[in-house]
Amino acid sequence: MSTVRASARWIRADLRARRGQAILTVLAVAGIVTALITSATLLEDGTNPWRRLFAQTKGAHVWIHTEDAPAVAALSRLPGVEQVAGPYRTAPVTLVLDGKKSPVALREAAVQPPRVAAPLVREGRWLRPGDAGGVVVERSFAQAVGLRVGGPFPVTALSGASHPLVVVGLADSADQGFYPEWTPGLAWTLPATLAAIEPAQGRSESVTGLRLSDGEDTLPAVHGAVTLLDEQVQRMSTWREVRASMELDNRLLGLLLALFGAAGLVAAALALANATGGRVLTQTRDIATLKSLGYTRGQVFAVLVTEHGALGLLGIALGLACGRLVTTFTLDGLPILPLSPVPLLAITGGTAAVVLVAVALPAWRGGRTPPIPAAPAAPPRGRLSRLARLALLVRLPPALVLGTRDAFTRRTPAVLSVVGLAVPMMMITIGLGCWATLDDFLRHPERVGQAAALTVHPGRLPADEAARLARADRDVAAVYPGAEVSALEPEQTRSVLARALGTSAEPYPFSVAEGRMFAARGEAVAGQGLLDLLGAEIGDRVRMTVGGTPLIVHIVGRVVEPEHDGEVLSLGIDSLAAKDAVPPQFYGLVLRQGADPEAVRARLLAASGEALEVRQAVNPAERLAVIRVVIVALTVVLALLALANLLTASALGLRDHALDLAVLKAMGLTPRQVAATLVTGTGLLVVLGVTAGTAVGASVVAGLIDLQGHTSGVGAGIGRTPSALTLATAAGTAIGAALLVAVIPARRAARAQVPVTAR
Amino acid sequence: MSREAGGGRRRAADESGTDPVERGERPARDERPAERVRSGERPMRADPVVATVNLVKIYQNGGVPVPAVRGVDLRVERGEFVAIMGPSGSGKSTLVHMLGGLDPRTSGEIWLDGKRADTLGESAWALLRRKKIGFVFQFFNLVANMTVADNVELPALLAGASPREARERRERLLDALGLTGRADAAPAQLAGGEQQRVALARALANRPSLLLADEPTGNLDSRNTRDVLKLLGEVHRDGQTIIMVTHDARVASLADRVVSLLDGQIVDDGAVAAPRRRPKGTAGDVVELRG
Ligand SMILES: Nc1ncnc2c1ncn2[C@@H]1O[C@H](COP(=O)(O)OP(=O)(O)OP(=O)(O)O)[C@@H](O)[C@H]1O
Ligand SMILES: [Mg+2]
Repeated sequence: MSTVRASARWIRADLRARRGQAILTVLAVAGIVTALITSATLLEDGTNPWRRLFAQTKGAHVWIHTEDAPAVAALSRLPGVEQVAGPYRTAPVTLVLDGKKSPVALREAAVQPPRVAAPLVREGRWLRPGDAGGVVVERSFAQAVGLRVGGPFPVTALSGASHPLVVVGLADSADQGFYPEWTPGLAWTLPATLAAIEPAQGRSESVTGLRLSDGEDTLPAVHGAVTLLDEQVQRMSTWREVRASMELDNRLLGLLLALFGAAGLVAAALALANATGGRVLTQTRDIATLKSLGYTRGQVFAVLVTEHGALGLLGIALGLACGRLVTTFTLDGLPILPLSPVPLLAITGGTAAVVLVAVALPAWRGGRTPPIPAAPAAPPRGRLSRLARLALLVRLPPALVLGTRDAFTRRTPAVLSVVGLAVPMMMITIGLGCWATLDDFLRHPERVGQAAALTVHPGRLPADEAARLARADRDVAAVYPGAEVSALEPEQTRSVLARALGTSAEPYPFSVAEGRMFAARGEAVAGQGLLDLLGAEIGDRVRMTVGGTPLIVHIVGRVVEPEHDGEVLSLGIDSLAAKDAVPPQFYGLVLRQGADPEAVRARLLAASGEALEVRQAVNPAERLAVIRVVIVALTVVLALLALANLLTASALGLRDHALDLAVLKAMGLTPRQVAATLVTGTGLLVVLGVTAGTAVGASVVAGLIDLQGHTSGVGAGIGRTPSALTLATAAGTAIGAALLVAVIPARRAARAQVPVTAR
Repeated sequence: MSREAGGGRRRAADESGTDPVERGERPARDERPAERVRSGERPMRADPVVATVNLVKIYQNGGVPVPAVRGVDLRVERGEFVAIMGPSGSGKSTLVHMLGGLDPRTSGEIWLDGKRADTLGESAWALLRRKKIGFVFQFFNLVANMTVADNVELPALLAGASPREARERRERLLDALGLTGRADAAPAQLAGGEQQRVALARALANRPSLLLADEPTGNLDSRNTRDVLKLLGEVHRDGQTIIMVTHDARVASLADRVVSLLDGQIVDDGAVAAPRRRPKGTAGDVVELRG
């Protein structure tokens, strides 16, 4: 290819002449690809450490907690069971560290790690034969309570005796979820140590893990175990629950990123098309010259696609690397599996295709440039002349009039510029909406069903006493008795949570989004997730087994339900059977306005002599805090895109007016007025784009968040539109920044000595 | 007179036009153009660099046909220096553009170095231009982002020369044009005359058989005009075939032959009006003449 060398020189020279714009293009595309990769990784569950942990520890799919050690041989003959872990004796103890008590399940473990569900030592070491008093602690628990290798691990047994143990190692495990989502914390010790701490067999339980040949199909093994062990079973857990508890709200984050990424891709395509198109327009004469030198149409096309496409592809490569870095190193330092090849290829290929199409269209037009460079590429006449005349009539400054006229002389680039600015601005507005929604979660937890800042479990006290203590506190506004039981839906295949809180006469202030609050026995409200699961609507009567008792539930409303994917049935405690309701399992405490939950908790603990168990509600927004980081990062990327568009628009404006500048000056405009004319032309596009983007973003954001809420089971009714002040500030900042950016080249052009020769 | 001649040629063109497939396909790979030309009933001594037969160009301007060139027969022999003159809008640029394939012709024939060229497609014309045709335009048309050196090396590289070859050729050319020192300058840093000399260097980089110049001095002051014309005279003396469009009779007087166009037709064609002032202007004469 003889043209390769010539083309390479041309491309090099051109890139050198517009270095800033080129870098901007690369960065913007890279940012978009990073967002897409990160979102796909999150959506693909790659951030959920469960997958990796389970594979590395060769985990068990089902864990059975029984009073006594079950018959291993019989368990291993159950359908689908491949291997059995344990049974391990486990004793409940309390870790008392700095006056803080944390429940711990102390589990026996052999010196030789087991073949199934072996904890993965991350720090320190595993247990050794002589380790009397040594424990290996599950890592998330150790982090939560501040344990270090070599540090003390003082525990109190049920008998009340204290034992000074020492942490010898920290290990990861897929046996149970992370602390504190999953309690009690887990620690392993040698059987001899365990026996010394809890000699009474009756106060410990036996834990057995089943590794199945097909993890998807846990039902036969679970049913088999229940039949086999019957009364012995205290509780069971499967890998699904473990995985769910390890999950951050990855899906929400992933969807948000995907939305931003996809919209960003559209914006990037527009920016690329605009940049390429603008470049082709400004270079019409150079391209014609190339053709007169012997470039064919196809070769011009190839050169343009190569130059502009290469920038995009470079951005994609950079984005792939960044995406890898982001998913490996940031996101909470969790171990993350890299994206599997199919979505990776899809993202790479898809973005590359978008980039190439965006570049190819203007490049094709460039290829069709007639080869007669003498033909002056004058801009078409202003189409807004009537508007301009009107502006003159009302005595607007001449710079404004001229600028207004100029803004739309080239219609396609103008529209591309406006849309190219509007799309990023729309996404930024949506990001602000997410931000506002999170703020709203934090400021008004009652709107997301978290009116009770504290829950009190009676612990060692009688329930009445606990309620009395809670009511006695000056900052407690209301106390609602509560109980949680599992409810089986009609087909009996899935159990959901039934939460009784308050009574029918005095219901807990759930956040009712549709319908009404329950007001009689047998009435209940449900989260969106449960309604979807049951295929039920408000007003339906559903037959369910609640806490083992058949009950016909009249669903009278839908509440905003941030927990358990919205698959929660909420009802009055008087609707439960007496065995579940009396005494209440816990009390939900609604505090007075402005009370500090931490202080109330401390007072309650003090008042009860540490006998009560007081938990603070975790606001879903706190778990979603990482979204704010994402919003900021994406805003930066989108701003880059907008900037790229802006530079194109202003370069095109300058080019079209290079000749007029001399004329304008000759007409008597000062350099400042000339600059103002140029800035007005670009600024008008900016104002249009930013205003349109903000308006569209603000009008769709609440709906989008509610849609996301609906699909995630939380239910609609959480979306918030950013305040008018925020919107105005954002739009104002964007316009201001854009004008500042436009001013620099305009001033330079206005100052420069303008050659009067043709271009 | 030109009308009659045009009429006769048109008939010839019609006859040979009875075999469009052969005519459309063969010229590009025809190894023996002379024979073909002979069979086209136009015997000739040696192949002219350019020959046109009844060349017509009609622009469509919003549905209204605008005839810019109306049946031009032009024959330029190797080594000739032809000036094309005529009032504005007479079709000079259009004619030159058609000769270089920048504008497709409406009808008629164009022969370059004895090969039929008007039937070529856009790409084939581009390939032809790389090797055989050099262009100089009124507004210099240097690629703004590239240095002078790169601008001049571009055609050589395009024609497949190695970077070393291209550099050597460029050094020689710039040397000859007295621009060695400006090799690394950007075109915008050069004066108009310098830019036009660079454009000339670029046009000559591939030793084209034909140099087409459309008002090369149209945008220059007298001093720069003199420099550029001096150069054109020199390359002509070295055997370069040149067709130059100009408005300026004094510039045209440098040529061997002046073709006058009016309304797209040749109204006068002859050697430079015998001794208009002097028999044959050399560059030096022009300098005196204009100075
Ligand atoms: N692209 C075009 N579309 C329509 N008409 C055209 C086009 N280019 C040239 N013409 C018309 O063709 C005629 C010849 O134009 P041309 O540019 O060849 O004249 P010229 O002799 O070069 O004039 P000048 O001395 O001003 O350069 C003119 O009437 C012109 O208006
Ligand atoms: Mg002309």
